[in-house]
Amino acid sequence: MTTFSVRILCAAIATVSAGLYCAAPALADDSPNSARIGLYSVFYHVSAGDLSGPFVPPGANLDANNVETVYLAYVRTLSSRFDVELAAGYPPLQKTVGKGPATLGSVPYDGQVIATARWLAPTLLLEYKFLSENSRWRPYIGVGVNYTAFYDRDSTAQGNAVSGGPTKLSLTSSVGPAGTAGVSYNIAGHWHAYASYSISKVSTDLTADTGGIIRTTHINFGPQALVVSVGYSF
Amino acid sequence: MFKLLRPLSAALGAALLCSCAGSSSPTATVAASTAHGTLAVNPPFRIASLNAATFQAQLAASGSGTQLLQITGKPSCGVDFYYIKFWTLGGAGETTESSGALMVPTGAAPACSGPRPIVLYAHGTNPLKTLNIADITNTTNTEGALIAAMFAAQGYIVVAPNYAGYDISTLGYHPFLNAQQQSGEMIDILTAARTALPNTMSAATSDSGKLFVTGYSEGGHVAMATQRALEASGAVVTGAAPMSGPYALVTFGDTIFLGSVDIGSTEFSPLLTTSYQKAYENIYTTPSDVYSATYANGIETLLPSATPIDTIFSTGLLPETAEFDITTPVVAGSPTLTAFLSVPGTANYPVPPSAQTPLFAAGFGSPYLINNSFRVAYAADALMNQDGGNSYFAQPGAPLPATEPVQTLRQAFYKNDLRNGAWEPKSPTLLCGGDGDPTVFFSVNTGTMQIFWAPLVQAGLIQVLDVGATPSGPFEAVQAGFQESQAAQLALYESTAGGGLSPEAAAELIVENYHTSVAPFCTAAARAFFSEL
Repeated sequence: MTTFSVRILCAAIATVSAGLYCAAPALADDSPNSARIGLYSVFYHVSAGDLSGPFVPPGANLDANNVETVYLAYVRTLSSRFDVELAAGYPPLQKTVGKGPATLGSVPYDGQVIATARWLAPTLLLEYKFLSENSRWRPYIGVGVNYTAFYDRDSTAQGNAVSGGPTKLSLTSSVGPAGTAGVSYNIAGHWHAYASYSISKVSTDLTADTGGIIRTTHINFGPQALVVSVGYSF
Repeated sequence: MFKLLRPLSAALGAALLCSCAGSSSPTATVAASTAHGTLAVNPPFRIASLNAATFQAQLAASGSGTQLLQITGKPSCGVDFYYIKFWTLGGAGETTESSGALMVPTGAAPACSGPRPIVLYAHGTNPLKTLNIADITNTTNTEGALIAAMFAAQGYIVVAPNYAGYDISTLGYHPFLNAQQQSGEMIDILTAARTALPNTMSAATSDSGKLFVTGYSEGGHVAMATQRALEASGAVVTGAAPMSGPYALVTFGDTIFLGSVDIGSTEFSPLLTTSYQKAYENIYTTPSDVYSATYANGIETLLPSATPIDTIFSTGLLPETAEFDITTPVVAGSPTLTAFLSVPGTANYPVPPSAQTPLFAAGFGSPYLINNSFRVAYAADALMNQDGGNSYFAQPGAPLPATEPVQTLRQAFYKNDLRNGAWEPKSPTLLCGGDGDPTVFFSVNTGTMQIFWAPLVQAGLIQVLDVGATPSGPFEAVQAGFQESQAAQLALYESTAGGGLSPEAAAELIVENYHTSVAPFCTAAARAFFSEL
């Protein structure tokens, strides 16, 4: 079971990091691996084009509700200064809300939850740590790449009412740059606490198909995430 | 050490793996069958959902909507506008997809949900191929707004096709005034709409089983043909109200070819010849057999068009009024025919001038649409094999020509003339129109049917309403309303606010718009008529 889990983890990391080695020989540090768990608060700064397609009144736009979820990460120490982090949130239920006219026809629109989706957004970061290895506090910054895939996409009953019937949604996956800044605190021994603030570029092409009537838009989510976590080195 | 890693890695691994799974919510089902009458997309797409107050506000936002509200009254119900896609057959039996409207009344008032009657409506001639009568969000869709406000917002479920050849239909032409095709398509959309209704978001409204059939202009002909087809099939029609339709096509065609050219004839001609050519393949060998060299090229696919009709006129693809050659033909050995082919108002024309003579004469010009050779062949047939409905050759009972015409266009009119087929309405019928109609002549069409069905008119099964006649009887208010509206419109045209037209120009504009102006009043009469059944 353990072997299997590790194998999945390695496979996943290998996939995302496109060749970054896994289960490499131990580095100088005797605890080169770290696993972290914490709280992932995502704040969106959505900018989207108005929905386009047949029978859409002008100004119909979208917004996304902020979400909180479980933060999970695996970190590999490369040297005394560099870490590589693969972070992901446990896929949360993301709510998309209407933005624009109060109603479309007589159907409430602005502020209504019209769609839900879960996303999986692994982020691979190369981090640089300041101060010495012996410091209790170590600030760090990182840059990397975010991949976001959407699944379990559902138009809500309200979304169907707005769209004109049962609606199939598709959202393209996103690959974009990510950056983070944070600080670690050595609680004791192998245990650390972390706080970080991250930004990434996540955009998608949304296609809504309501009985063959196709509406589209491009959404930039502009997510920023506050993460508070604890980690164990091994 | 691995105690923590195990659940963490399992969770992370599961999260990563599940990115490839997952599916979206279902959308509508696309029917595998293309058999006529099949609902192609189920449930149908709802274009808009308007409650009574929103619909009223939307109408009141425009001048024409405000006028319409005065005739229809305030909406009592909300209306859900569904876009129906269904399979039907073309004029030559081709399988084609067509589309149309299902308008469902909604709301708490008792007359707005539960079992409600269906109004099956056929729209008038529309040169615009992109017409979608279900699209209430399009402000140019005035006929859609009319039937929604008149019927759906008062508790009637409305079903109305866009017709094959329009909107999404891939049929390369429109089977214009093809009684068999158009009545078939009406029955197909009715079948599809009945399939759709229980699956809509407005399923609180259901079909009560009462069925009314109505339509205006081209749709008047379609409505009457549909009533005939439904009754022949044994279906119950609760009531019918064909309005301002070209029912007596032979009488009407003869009247035009013998010089009384109606407003709109240059638009109707290509629609007619293409429709009948596709169905019967004998109207011409090449369009230039019918049409002058100026217009023959491309005329088969000219209408309906995505290009507005005004642009079609202004770019010289069709003449605006010149249906026939101003240089009229002289037929050797036939002075009567030659006289009937001359321009109305000239000395040789056999009918004394009337107020409408200048209007008829405007149908002659150069360049012109229809060749003299084709006109002569048609007119010769009209004189040879006379139509009993024509005032020149009137016969008791206004019968069709005794034998089927020889000239192929006249033959097609004969096939689609609604006196044909030895039938008469079984259900209460209202024939409404206006006697001053310069587009679809009232006496030639409604008047002919009134004589043809005189016993049923006397028995009261068929009522005839002329909104231009002196107000009296059950539709007195409609007649008075129409005439007051015409007077007000005339005064408006002459006022500074309405353009400050001269009395002559204002009167001309009233005549030009007469056919369209009658529509809401006849539709109001139809609603009043249906409400008693």
